Amino acid sequence: MMAYSQLLVTVLIIAIIYSLLAIGMNMHWGDTGLLNFAHAGFFAVGAYTSTVLTTPAATGLLGDRIVGLELPIVIGLVAATIVAALFGILIALPSLRLEGDYLAMVTLSAAEMIRLIITNEAWLTAGTQGIKDIPRPLAGAFPLSLGGFQMGYNLFYLGLTIAILIASYALFKRLSESPFGRVLHAIREDEDVPRALGKRTPVFKLKSFGLGAGIAGLAGALWAHFFFAINPTMFLPSLTFSVWAAVIIGGAGSYVGAIVGTSFIVGIRQLTRFLPNDIPLGSELPFLRLILIGAALIVVLYYRPQGLLGDKERIQAGQAMEGE
Amino acid sequence: MSTDPILAVENLRKSFGGLTAVDGASFDVEKGTIVGLIGPNGAGKSTTFNLITGFYEADEGSVRFRGEEIIDLSPEERSKEGMVRTFQITRELTGMKVSQNMRLGGQDHDGEKVIHAVAGTAKDREAEIGERAEELLRELELWDLRDEYAGNLSGGQRKLLELGRALMAEPDILLLDEPMAGVNPSLTDDIIEMIHELSAQGITFLIVEHDVDMIMNISDKVIGMHQGQVLTSGPPAVVQNDDELLEAYFGGEV
Amino acid sequence: MATFDPQFIWFGLVSGSLIALGALGLTLIFGILDFINIAYGEYMAFGAFVAFGLNTQANMPMVVAGIGGVLGAGVLAIALDKVVFEKFRNRSAIVLLVVSIGLSFILRNSIRIIWGSGTKRFDIPIEQAPTYFGISILPDQVAIIILSFGVLALTFVLLRKTDIGIAMRAASDDTDLAQIRGVNTERLVLYVWLVGGLIAGIAGVMLGIDSVLRPTMGFLTLIPIFAAVILGGIGDPVGAVVGGYAIGLLQELSVVVIPSEYKPLIGLLVLVVGLLTRPDGLFGEATR
Repeated sequence: MMAYSQLLVTVLIIAIIYSLLAIGMNMHWGDTGLLNFAHAGFFAVGAYTSTVLTTPAATGLLGDRIVGLELPIVIGLVAATIVAALFGILIALPSLRLEGDYLAMVTLSAAEMIRLIITNEAWLTAGTQGIKDIPRPLAGAFPLSLGGFQMGYNLFYLGLTIAILIASYALFKRLSESPFGRVLHAIREDEDVPRALGKRTPVFKLKSFGLGAGIAGLAGALWAHFFFAINPTMFLPSLTFSVWAAVIIGGAGSYVGAIVGTSFIVGIRQLTRFLPNDIPLGSELPFLRLILIGAALIVVLYYRPQGLLGDKERIQAGQAMEGE
Repeated sequence: MSTDPILAVENLRKSFGGLTAVDGASFDVEKGTIVGLIGPNGAGKSTTFNLITGFYEADEGSVRFRGEEIIDLSPEERSKEGMVRTFQITRELTGMKVSQNMRLGGQDHDGEKVIHAVAGTAKDREAEIGERAEELLRELELWDLRDEYAGNLSGGQRKLLELGRALMAEPDILLLDEPMAGVNPSLTDDIIEMIHELSAQGITFLIVEHDVDMIMNISDKVIGMHQGQVLTSGPPAVVQNDDELLEAYFGGEV
Repeated sequence: MATFDPQFIWFGLVSGSLIALGALGLTLIFGILDFINIAYGEYMAFGAFVAFGLNTQANMPMVVAGIGGVLGAGVLAIALDKVVFEKFRNRSAIVLLVVSIGLSFILRNSIRIIWGSGTKRFDIPIEQAPTYFGISILPDQVAIIILSFGVLALTFVLLRKTDIGIAMRAASDDTDLAQIRGVNTERLVLYVWLVGGLIAGIAGVMLGIDSVLRPTMGFLTLIPIFAAVILGGIGDPVGAVVGGYAIGLLQELSVVVIPSEYKPLIGLLVLVVGLLTRPDGLFGEATR
């Protein structure tokens, strides 16, 4: 019983960190209509930035990592957010005037490039060896005894990530509903219109990209500090596509939808772990899960284009136009 | 009427691939006037519009606005200068509500900066913009539809919304690309009346329109284009009887 | 980094052939259907794995197995159109792109379940490479280059000389126009999927012969293929092929100036530089 509740807490933490990714993606796609396929890259940049800043340099079998600053974790989290945001802006910069699908190709390639650099620049990232023993914030204080109740570390981390999720949700929703968000929505609908009305759309797109990439970086740092260890294979394009699936299934444009969609995806991925391995195809479960996610994505797009919580009326109003 | 040109187009040229769409067009638009731009299909009217507003990059030529060269400015910079356009096929933002479409036109709005959006400041400006939007929506008889998605409006309502949204940007010159296309006749009169009213308030108009009668009626000056060049220009009464233009419109049948 | 070696040019021609084929298939599909099919890499992998199954599990000779794999990819492309893409025909390009992401998930993981996720090799003899003019040349590589030239030539004959090919080109320029002129667009769509699928299968099988088979083999080749498609101008078959060879050669020759680990960087670099300087592709004519 204890083991299950521990597992549940871990699953929740994963769902929350992925929700942060989905929130960033929703700003890009749901609010601004930008096709970002570099999300796993921003996640990686955040994870590695915070890790390199908070761990000591280390020697390894395949090579020595000579950078490691042992700074406080708070600095790591803040730096992860900022550096990932800067990466987002940097990647968006050359492709701002491009049509949507070009941006998709550039960002997908850029994410792979980030992974290539992480894999090869071992002096900074330890390369394929990965980095271990990443410190956890306030780890020394737990388990904490609160009048008979023992609070374990995971529960504390769950609380921390929930607080960050709520703050991020509130922030992004506020942005989306502000005049700033209004310009983003106009870009999503038809970029020529805000331009004709004097809005400097490239600047707005850069800001959108930076904000969404920044929160993905923060998510990466939270991931690294919870799971102790990171390596380049954690940041494959399939992570980006899972986040996409979450945003689409939840309903593009809805921040609650982004969180619900993520919970759905993480649910499929994690809860099927409880199935016994001796059922038919039991050993293929990891692959079946991904097939299920792919199928869910297609089914939702067909039967419910607005996603689970998206605005049906808005999608239909948009289609009325397309039909002409 | 002053003869001071607010907009001076000179020797504008643009070709796509091997096809020359605008071939050395030059004309002036005097401040406070209503100028109509006419010509048969493929005359280069829409391309000229896109060159003036910066949506196309000109191969050659100059566009001066209030005496200043603007040919190198982006569309958004030209708009900020006070040159606002509408589109041939209405481009209201279908997935945004009518009121949001209008508010988007508001200028000098600090609330569009991330820092103000987060801090919740610049509310005063948003309120001002909201008031102006309400005023215009009531005038355009769209106020009752303010919470409707723009995609659900009728063709004529979309034209009105687009006009209103352009007015939100407080233009000095309004470039209307076929404002009457797809609008039913009862609304046409409303739009014409509105143009006259705005013109009286000092807004300059450059209008591309297929409906030649309407243009002849409303304009102080008409510019006739054919094959990318300005064929004729002058008061409607003169242009109306220009043989060359008639030839261009009707071929050799006249 | 390495000093220049004529061998790089040979390698460049080999990988250029593979990229050119993939780019041709992808750009043909894009020309008619107007969306980027992310699952295209999986079509390649599927063809390769079908050939692998026929070759190693059914013990067929490589040539027969290869043909089987190519046909398999063609059938897959048509089947997926009938089952999935047809249902989304009137939806936006972005929706189709996301649908293809879902499909690529399904296909890649189905391949893992059917054939396992490890690295596989075709059952073909490993040969000693003879050396000509200081370049070691494998018979397989010669076959790849000749085959790809053959396929490219055949495709261009199809596009220029047959009614259906000419209709394809017309539709690629303007889908609506083709409809007006009485071309049956739905039939055209089937043909383009078939041709695109077969080409994907050929590229996949040859990629497997050139190196090894992995479920991710197609997906990982997508980036240079994208780069070639964009370099050539989206929807332009000739441009895609020229772009493919250019990327292949640049990638292999890049090791003279950058560490070989960063070879894939060339794809991105070409993508960005190409997009910034020539958004309409190598040959300038605006295709969109």
